Amino acid sequence: MNEINWSQPPSANTKPKLRLSASHVPDEAPGVPGGVSQPVRTFLPQPITCAKCSGEIDFDGYCLICGEKAADPRMHYEMTSCDWVAGVCDRGVRHPGNEDALALDASAFEQGRAVLVVCDGVSMAADSAEASLSAAHAAVAAVNAAEFDWDLSPQAVQAATGEVLGGVALAANQAVLDNSDLQVQNPASCTLAIGLLNGRSMLSATVGDSRVYWLPDSGAAMQLSIDDSMAQQQMDAGMDRLTAETGEYGHVITRWLGRDAPDVRPRVSVATAEGDGWFLVCSDGLWNYASDPSEMSELVAAIVRELGEPTPLELASRLVGWANTQGGADNVTVAVARVTVEPGSETQEAAENELDSATVRLRG
Amino acid sequence: MAQFTSTVYQNEFLPDGGTDVNAIVRIQVSGAGQAGTDGAAGEIIIIDCSGSMGQRSMAAARQAAMVALDNINNGTYFAVISGTHEAYLAFPLVQSGPGMVVMNDQNRRAAKNAISRLVSNGGTAIGRWLSLAKALFNSMGGALSQCHALLLTDGADEHETPHQLDSAIRSCVGLFQCDCRGVGTYWVVSEVRKISRALMGSLDIIPTPEKMADEFARIMQTSMSRGVSSANLRVWIPQGAQLMFVRQVSPDVEDLTRTATPVNPLTVDIPTGAWGDEERDYHVAVRLPARALGQEQLAARVQLVVNEQPRTQGLVKAVWSEDDSLTAPINGEVAHYTGQAELARAIQEGLAAKQSGDLSTATSRLGRAVQLAAETGNSEATSRLRKVVDVVDVATGTVRLKKQVDKADEMALDTASTKTVRTRGEGGVAGVSLEQ
Repeated sequence: MNEINWSQPPSANTKPKLRLSASHVPDEAPGVPGGVSQPVRTFLPQPITCAKCSGEIDFDGYCLICGEKAADPRMHYEMTSCDWVAGVCDRGVRHPGNEDALALDASAFEQGRAVLVVCDGVSMAADSAEASLSAAHAAVAAVNAAEFDWDLSPQAVQAATGEVLGGVALAANQAVLDNSDLQVQNPASCTLAIGLLNGRSMLSATVGDSRVYWLPDSGAAMQLSIDDSMAQQQMDAGMDRLTAETGEYGHVITRWLGRDAPDVRPRVSVATAEGDGWFLVCSDGLWNYASDPSEMSELVAAIVRELGEPTPLELASRLVGWANTQGGADNVTVAVARVTVEPGSETQEAAENELDSATVRLRG
Repeated sequence: MAQFTSTVYQNEFLPDGGTDVNAIVRIQVSGAGQAGTDGAAGEIIIIDCSGSMGQRSMAAARQAAMVALDNINNGTYFAVISGTHEAYLAFPLVQSGPGMVVMNDQNRRAAKNAISRLVSNGGTAIGRWLSLAKALFNSMGGALSQCHALLLTDGADEHETPHQLDSAIRSCVGLFQCDCRGVGTYWVVSEVRKISRALMGSLDIIPTPEKMADEFARIMQTSMSRGVSSANLRVWIPQGAQLMFVRQVSPDVEDLTRTATPVNPLTVDIPTGAWGDEERDYHVAVRLPARALGQEQLAARVQLVVNEQPRTQGLVKAVWSEDDSLTAPINGEVAHYTGQAELARAIQEGLAAKQSGDLSTATSRLGRAVQLAAETGNSEATSRLRKVVDVVDVATGTVRLKKQVDKADEMALDTASTKTVRTRGEGGVAGVSLEQ
């Protein structure tokens, strides 16, 4: 228990690696059709100052002034991509490690466009945390690198964008394979939830049971994503949500990323925002305590009422904190984007488009 | 390229309110190479040529010095000093310029020739010998990266004051290391120990002259195998903490706290001299302000630093816990070396009391030493103690001073008092090796 478990800088690895950020993106994303697959390794930035005395943290993970042990950044990290997109990834209360992962980007795109990704490591494999983190970053990088016109209408997704999303999921899957020991009994695997925003157009692409919600300030909330889970199958067969999700198979997922993944093509849904609201991507560490879209919407509304006009990071932090006060039984990850609809814009287009929300079946 | 590794042995768990952290840091060097690999090496052989040496010792000393020359690598700079109440440069025969010459076959022959002409005559002023050695090393004008001397004496330092000796020793600190040997039983262990301690050398008795050559060969071989010319032990402690002591505990006990010099307000450097392929253990004790249960912090970073480059680092930690089963055990290495350090003190104090005629203190301290030697498994100390005391009961440390003691046995017990034995060393935590 005295060992150095500080995450070492990337030089410890011999595999070729890429550090992904908005300013450094591979020319062709891994796994994207036409792109060359290459291992993607990602590393969280190290905290450089001590929480206790503001001293510098040495490479050994301890403060150079007071000796305080620096918090492991993998256990809790926060991201803000721009003033309307942010997220928090947290260990929770009960789990010793954090196998959830979060990645997001809005700054690399035109105004109003954003990608939010949550992955939930679902294996007890030792490298599960690295695998999920790599998958999340690979997904964002693949969206970054993919050339598509951000048309998130059902027709466009059916025609072309869906293939791009299939490539993004393949890239994330490859990242899991590249960052996990495939020889062990239960190799690392994880879910994938991608939320895309383009103005008022919203898209959800998921594998597993991490979710995408649309929570308008007024009007009915909706869950865009459809879980790949036993609970969802039971609900499809007519069982009510509460019974299915709290039942014996409530948390058994039917699809995932990883070595033995049966099928990594994501389920894709699209919707259009009719008014202002919050676009939310989360792991089951949050929705375990507020699964129904109306419950989630009430929860967010209560926090917004309390804080006034919260920033996305404030909202995400409060949601994570709330999940932890509910028990924090699992890792908790929440990414949110504030969607604002300018009055009068696109109203005609919306009126013409009868498919306000739709589940799109990918060609395949 | 030399490899440096470190291992930390400690129980990092402190009870509620606990403040003192003790750890053994083992540092290992391998692949050190030969002396002179990172700059030129210098060797000076200092031979006591006082009248007391007599025919037999003088002949043995001449022979041993020649054997020492045979064990000095070609390319090493060297000199030979003959010491009496003055100090003479026996070799090289120079009148100006550097006072040391490079070792090669020709110079080795010439040096042996000079040594063969040494005779015993005069008194003993060891401080002057050291001062000449210092002057010779300095005459090389910084060309030497590692300086070592071998000093042989047979008698007390009678022809100068203790103050003169002390100031000579002080002026040599940090310039060269000096292994010291006393032949016979007329020299004073405490006097020569001052030299070996200050100049980071070993100390031993050569009871009979005929063992001298083997001993000289061994000393030179060890010196020549030290390919890391100089290294510092660098100890960092947190702000608000106190470094209680740093003590080398293996291969022998030496409190190093007094030699620490500050690098910055939180860090000290402690000179450790040259290293060959070897392991040394250090006991580091740090006092921290107590923190709340469940808190963890670093208590010390212990590094071996070569040329200002940290080459390996061990971490000493502190974790406050309410679990008695975690906080109660004393780490085996810490306990072992704490006992060994007390053993060294008990022997030295016991012998000092015996010399001053305080027989009751001598009996109780040497009795404690017998007890500690048994407890810590130091069988060599036990057998040396048994030549000085009759053991009545080991467990309680009850002994009687022997009526007849061979002076050489008593001096051997004294000189070897700081030698420690190692433990198995299980459950240590490997430190990190730092690349240059």
